[in-house]
Amino acid sequence: MDMLLSSPSFAFIQVLNSISLGMNLFIIAAGLSLIFGVLRVINFAHGVFYMFGAYIMYTVSKDLQLGFFTGVIAAAVGLSVIAIIVERGLFQWLYDKEHLLQLLLTFAIVLIMGDMAKIIWGTDQLSVSYPEGLGGASNVGFTFYPTYRLMLCVVGPLIFFGLWFLIERTRWGRLTRAATQDMEMLSALGINVPIIYVTIFVIGSALAGVGGSLAAPINSPTPGMDATIIVECFVIVIIGGLGSLWGTFVGALIYGFVFNFGSVIVPNWQDVFAFLLLMAVLLIRPWGLFGKPEQEGH
Amino acid sequence: MSWNISRGVLATCIIVVLLLICVPLTESRYLIDLSTEILVYALFALSLNVIIGFSGNVSFGHAAYFAIGGYANAILLTTYGWPLIFAFPAAVILSGVAAAFVAYFCTRLTDIYFAMLTLAFSMLVWAIAFKWRSVTGGDDGFVGVTVPAFIDTRVPFFYFTLIIVTISCITLWLICHSAFGQSLIAVRENLTRAGFIGVNTRLMRGIAFVIAGTFAGVAGAIFAMYNRGVYTESAFWAESAQVLIMTLLGGMYSFFGPAIGAAALYLLERFSNEYTEYWPTVLGVILLIIVLVLPEGLVGLAKRLKTRFMGGN
Amino acid sequence: MVSIVRSTTAAAFMLAAGVASANAEIKIGVLYPIAGTGAVYGTPAMYGHNMAVDEVNAAGGIMGQKVVSFARDTKLKPAAAAAAAKELITKEGVDVLVGGLSSAVGLAISEVARQEGVVYIATIPKTIQMTTKKLHKHVFRTSSHTDFEGDAIAQIVKKLGKKSVCDIQLDYAYGHDLAAGIEKGLAKHAPNVKKVIDLRSKLGATDYNAQITQILGSGCDVVTSGLWGSHFVNFAQQAKPFGLFDRVTYISGGEIASHEIAGKMGKDYPDNVISNSYELWYDHTFPGHKKFQADLAKRSGKKETAMWPVLAYIGVKFIEAAGNKAGTMDADKFAAALEGMTIKTPVGDRTIDPKTHQANTGQFWGPMVKKSGVDYRVMSPVTWYPATLD
Repeated sequence: MDMLLSSPSFAFIQVLNSISLGMNLFIIAAGLSLIFGVLRVINFAHGVFYMFGAYIMYTVSKDLQLGFFTGVIAAAVGLSVIAIIVERGLFQWLYDKEHLLQLLLTFAIVLIMGDMAKIIWGTDQLSVSYPEGLGGASNVGFTFYPTYRLMLCVVGPLIFFGLWFLIERTRWGRLTRAATQDMEMLSALGINVPIIYVTIFVIGSALAGVGGSLAAPINSPTPGMDATIIVECFVIVIIGGLGSLWGTFVGALIYGFVFNFGSVIVPNWQDVFAFLLLMAVLLIRPWGLFGKPEQEGH
Repeated sequence: MSWNISRGVLATCIIVVLLLICVPLTESRYLIDLSTEILVYALFALSLNVIIGFSGNVSFGHAAYFAIGGYANAILLTTYGWPLIFAFPAAVILSGVAAAFVAYFCTRLTDIYFAMLTLAFSMLVWAIAFKWRSVTGGDDGFVGVTVPAFIDTRVPFFYFTLIIVTISCITLWLICHSAFGQSLIAVRENLTRAGFIGVNTRLMRGIAFVIAGTFAGVAGAIFAMYNRGVYTESAFWAESAQVLIMTLLGGMYSFFGPAIGAAALYLLERFSNEYTEYWPTVLGVILLIIVLVLPEGLVGLAKRLKTRFMGGN
Repeated sequence: MVSIVRSTTAAAFMLAAGVASANAEIKIGVLYPIAGTGAVYGTPAMYGHNMAVDEVNAAGGIMGQKVVSFARDTKLKPAAAAAAAKELITKEGVDVLVGGLSSAVGLAISEVARQEGVVYIATIPKTIQMTTKKLHKHVFRTSSHTDFEGDAIAQIVKKLGKKSVCDIQLDYAYGHDLAAGIEKGLAKHAPNVKKVIDLRSKLGATDYNAQITQILGSGCDVVTSGLWGSHFVNFAQQAKPFGLFDRVTYISGGEIASHEIAGKMGKDYPDNVISNSYELWYDHTFPGHKKFQADLAKRSGKKETAMWPVLAYIGVKFIEAAGNKAGTMDADKFAAALEGMTIKTPVGDRTIDPKTHQANTGQFWGPMVKKSGVDYRVMSPVTWYPATLD
């Protein structure tokens, strides 16, 4: 704590830490928010999708030595395939059923895919290297900061912008937004709604995979990593408001700051930051910063 | 307030209880242990169903009250040396009070937000158990619970559990089939309409939550003595998920469904542990089956089979 | 409905009847985490366990009887481990329990052992409580513990002539105990060394930037740590760009010098790291290690073998020796045989202290350096730190 107060460069570094952690998490949580925004489903399996992304990155970049960027693409493609299978094979039967059943389905996927990861990649402790040239530090004024994390700070907003553009400025995005308002009407107008649903699910899941692959150098593939990340994602999307892209972005930043500064000031409370944040939001403004109060029974 | 129990169900219950009474006669330590554990989880699952099946909310954090009951009982018996007659009720009351506290906040919300808040509170309980090492033993667990001499051996403890669980079940049955229980069902079916006909939905859901938490505390208090220890995992979300699955597997729309689900899931897990290390996959497949094919659980399946083979009611 | 009840009861009684109690075999109940997060350790441990059991049987078994193992997954959950331990005793009728990984699981199994009157040999749990506050006549521990570990770290700090220490630990029992062990060690060996900062990360943490930047800001010249497994991998990856390992020496417990970690990290393993391992596949200081390692390599199909098998192996070897010495598997006599017993292991002689039931398990400590021709780092020079607090 004294370091924070006495050294401006230290404080500045903590700010950078917070932002880069937030951006890292935003990339991962964006997909969860997107899927909820359109499909009204909270995808517990988002965590295992993220985990698969990290493991795929390991196989492609470290095991097969095919390159880092290839790994990111492989993660995106791999998770897209998985998403199509899951959505068409399992999910589509539950869209008009109770939310609880949908949640349980995603939880079942968590269990099964978790074991699959164990079977495919074993239980060894793995690690993924930084891509060439991005493993060092860059000069950011009066200090040096890890280049890779700075890169994530750039990628985060890029993804945000990409998604925003997609949803707000394309015809397809307009249709998707219409689907969230009134699916029946849209269907009556002759739009193929199931395709929209699949596409959203695929994009959201691919983002989880990309998030996992990009995070892999600093968050090594480990069994059980999905449990940690899903909690963080939930907190972020609830702070920001389920389904709001801006909300997820801001929520991720808030989480980054709380976690990082909290670790410096009250390190013994690290276990509970996420849940305290969750509680605070749910007690004060449950629909989040950028969300809208939902009607009963939605 | 009528007893409201059909002859068939009553007969089955009596038979089950009689069979359980006979379990110690087999002299199998394994069977007695298994029966004790299943009784505890059956009560735990039945208590959760007051929230899910009867008042229509989903709790992701029910394990918190199981844990509070367990820790409170363990600490009062061991650290403070209280006699069981005071420690046990105190632990149960503490679970109920905790549930009331959480219910006050959670009932302001519905649906997914309600569920998330219950989760957040239960993880807070977990964190307290984890970090308050001096009192709870932290992540090492509270090991070494002083169990009163009259139930210190297997068979007396089993009968103790059987008696407490049976009384709890009867109590829960009476509550769920009383006028209060009917109002709960009304709340479950249609929250808005129930509000229109003058039901204080928030209060009803709150009371249901407290009842559920109290009986979860009973289960937890028994379990703490059985294990001679309480561990932080009892409050973790995975424990809440497990009891939720038990409730659903058995059938949330029937009273006894969760008890059957608890027994089924528990036995399944123990057996699959001997043959495979992939229990999560087994559990996942069970969940898929419930969700896609059997949302009314095993009891629903039994009812469907009965109508198919006996030509309906 | 009634028919369901009937058939369930029938099944239940059949279960009861199925409880065997054959006496022609020696039954060992083994508990390691085989699924989920703990499998990183549990799976290699089972290799070592099974190898030891096969060796014992090839040499004629215990008291001339064949040894059979019954394995259960602890899932890293103490209550599940307790239930599994009880089942092994009541259903399978095991004569002795062995294994455990995390401290909580070890204590839970120990409690079951105490209640049921069966000996439990803890092969991996490091909690100091097991052989102090929670000691009872039927529990033994053959792994090291946090006081030994902390003492070794302190000795190395002194040897390197370091002046100021940053300590980073995980915020749970092991981390607290190791921090305490390091404090005790420093007070004894290097009382003039200053502790500049105590850092804590939560168990399962993935982001360490706050801690890394605090270490850099505090100006210490050595970091003592208990970050194990994936915690270390993530910490190292995140700390490298900050140049942490060029500025401080990093001395860590938690066996991150083991090949499980070094092998997979390969070129990513940082400089200036000193750590410990129970066993190193390439170090043949102790007699019998070469053969042990070769057998293990054959069994696991990999030349560079993991470290965890030897711990499980030693547990079984103690069972063999005590069973043969006592001439019976009766818990009290078996326990009496274990007290003071010495056996030869691939990593030196082990003796169980009759008072504390703790084996004198030392560890290898040393810096991790690059080796030509291979990707991974190895420990060189290797120094054996015996388990003594004198």
